[in-house]
Amino acid sequence: MQRRQSIDEAFKAIAELLEDGEAQDALLRASEGAQRKVEAIIERFPGLAEMAKQLRSSKIRVLERLEEYVDQAIASIKAVGARAYVARTGAEALDIMGSIVGRGKIVVMSKSMVLEEVGARDFLLEMGNEVWETDLGQLLVSLEGGKPMHPVAPAVHMSRRRAIRVLNEKLGLGLREDCPVEEAVARVRALLREKFTSATHGITGANALAADTGSLVLVENEGNIRLVTGLPPVHIAVVPVDKILPTLRDALYQAIVQSAYAGLYPPTYLTVISGPSSTADIGHERVYGAHGPREMHVILLDNGRLEASRDSTVREQLLCVRCGRCLFECPVWVHTGNNWGGRVYGGPMGLVWTAITESEELAAALSYLCLQCGRCDEACPVDIPLSNLIRGLKSRYYKRL
Amino acid sequence: MRKHGLPVPVPREVIYRWSRGLGLPISGDTVLFTGGLYQLAPYIEALVRFAASMEKGGVVSGIASRLSSTSIARVLARFLARAEKSRVERFESIVRGIALVLARAGVEYAYSPRVDAYSGSILYDLGLDEAFASHAAKVFKSIKSEGVRRVITIDPHTTLVLKEVYPRYIEGYDLEVVNYMELLGHRIEPFPGSRGEAVIHDPCLYARNLNIIGEPRRLVEASGYTVREPRRSRRMTYCCGGPIESLFPSLAKRVARTRMDELAPLGKTIVVMCPICLVNLSSVAPGGVEVRDLGELLAEAAKH
Repeated sequence: MQRRQSIDEAFKAIAELLEDGEAQDALLRASEGAQRKVEAIIERFPGLAEMAKQLRSSKIRVLERLEEYVDQAIASIKAVGARAYVARTGAEALDIMGSIVGRGKIVVMSKSMVLEEVGARDFLLEMGNEVWETDLGQLLVSLEGGKPMHPVAPAVHMSRRRAIRVLNEKLGLGLREDCPVEEAVARVRALLREKFTSATHGITGANALAADTGSLVLVENEGNIRLVTGLPPVHIAVVPVDKILPTLRDALYQAIVQSAYAGLYPPTYLTVISGPSSTADIGHERVYGAHGPREMHVILLDNGRLEASRDSTVREQLLCVRCGRCLFECPVWVHTGNNWGGRVYGGPMGLVWTAITESEELAAALSYLCLQCGRCDEACPVDIPLSNLIRGLKSRYYKRL
Repeated sequence: MRKHGLPVPVPREVIYRWSRGLGLPISGDTVLFTGGLYQLAPYIEALVRFAASMEKGGVVSGIASRLSSTSIARVLARFLARAEKSRVERFESIVRGIALVLARAGVEYAYSPRVDAYSGSILYDLGLDEAFASHAAKVFKSIKSEGVRRVITIDPHTTLVLKEVYPRYIEGYDLEVVNYMELLGHRIEPFPGSRGEAVIHDPCLYARNLNIIGEPRRLVEASGYTVREPRRSRRMTYCCGGPIESLFPSLAKRVARTRMDELAPLGKTIVVMCPICLVNLSSVAPGGVEVRDLGELLAEAAKH
């Protein structure tokens, strides 16, 4: 089990970040950039708002009968030849993952907040595996030993200088401090290319899971997810139950809305995966493991979500698509990053996620830094009343004192 | 808070001192309900200086305990006594100005010093639901006891709480709540001539929760100023940092500076319509940039 962060540690981390001029500049610049990008995307593609509206209503349908949708998703995953599991806690998810991976393997991972939530990387390392983050931002964060500062842009707080320093110190790339960014990216690509081809297991999260088809939908720009899910013989996906949607169409909507409101639209890659790869071209006999994985495992993670779906104070947070727009728009987050949060999730949506998956006490204590200004409410594509949920955390905290 | 019904330990006369000598009627169907936020702002400002000094001493967390500690309340009272006289006078004059502009525009209203009270918005923001509910019930009962049907509010926090929150906490709540800008919107004669440009800073609650967006613009223009819009404006306006100023002063200051960095390059006059915005943005305004309340602009224009 992951160690929980104490309230004092969280406040100390915020105070330290306020004094870090380089990180302050990076956060402010990135946030302003993202604000403008999303604004421009919404204006240029007016259909997105309608898509977000439809997405909200299908998500509400799932929320009302979440357990039934979990059952339906499991049946559909099995129907496409993948294996399905339900993990009540992060520890259970790790047990399942550990029994699939074993030790002495090479594992490549895509960036995923839910993998952070369960602590997959550290767990697999401790089991004696070689583990590689393949998203560049997440690689930088993991090499430095910190936590992702944003669900979509994990290294948003790092200046270019700091990133190059990390790559040199941890991977011995020997890059000049003022080398072109292209050079740094090319070197990481060459290094990871080798890991992709030798990896035994690829591990991902998912942006959405369709209950009717058992399909995973993943969205990205770097192209690493295609390789993580395509090259190793075994693919394991950890999917929080709130990412289940009624149909494949809804699941695609979720990935599209997520990328748009994260400021990355159109997305470079949108991947749909329904079971392991197979072929029946020789003698009409179905053989698994054609060019893609021969095995696919989907671990559905609860970790507080089913309980949250019945809890009116935090329930609506389960509608979240994790675009992270509320973070970029929040006047507090742009100075605190995810240090204003729990071990994994931070910012407006992250406070409530912290309450659901980690510690309500920590989340409530941090909620007092919320301005109640409501920019997050305005920013949310699925209209989660975030500032009101955060106020609800404070209110319940007081009642328990 | 329980003793005086105010968020800071000051005498109740702080709320109604501004009205002395104006000869306003004290009872009527419609009353001006200031909520006291403008009048209290200079004292809250002094409290923030106190909180900032505590933060420097290394106290960053333990917010809940800080809020409830009585020994700290005594130290705090000494700090509050240090509210600057000129600040107190300026904030009282803003309320007086709004009251006079309303009267001059032909709005009929009374002002009852006994009824005017703090709305309890801080309790609501902090999630102190029970304390808020009982405070709200008291305020409502007091207003109703004077036979009031309609209240005029002058700041965003009091307006939101009376208009949107009280109805959810008080059974049979039937007060009509109207903001002074909504009343003045079409009643003000345009100022003859130009007094320059004013950069507008929408308070969060007016813009996002109450949809009061057009009125302030009309009134700034009617005061003789041309409105300049920052990028983050209207429904996407940006907070001044005020709500966390006493809990985490250094962070609140950062938020205020980030906003000021956006506003200051656009003009020398920044116009706000909230006492909390006025305090916070003033404290980070660079030399030559002045933060004014809409009430001040209106009162000046009315003198001409």
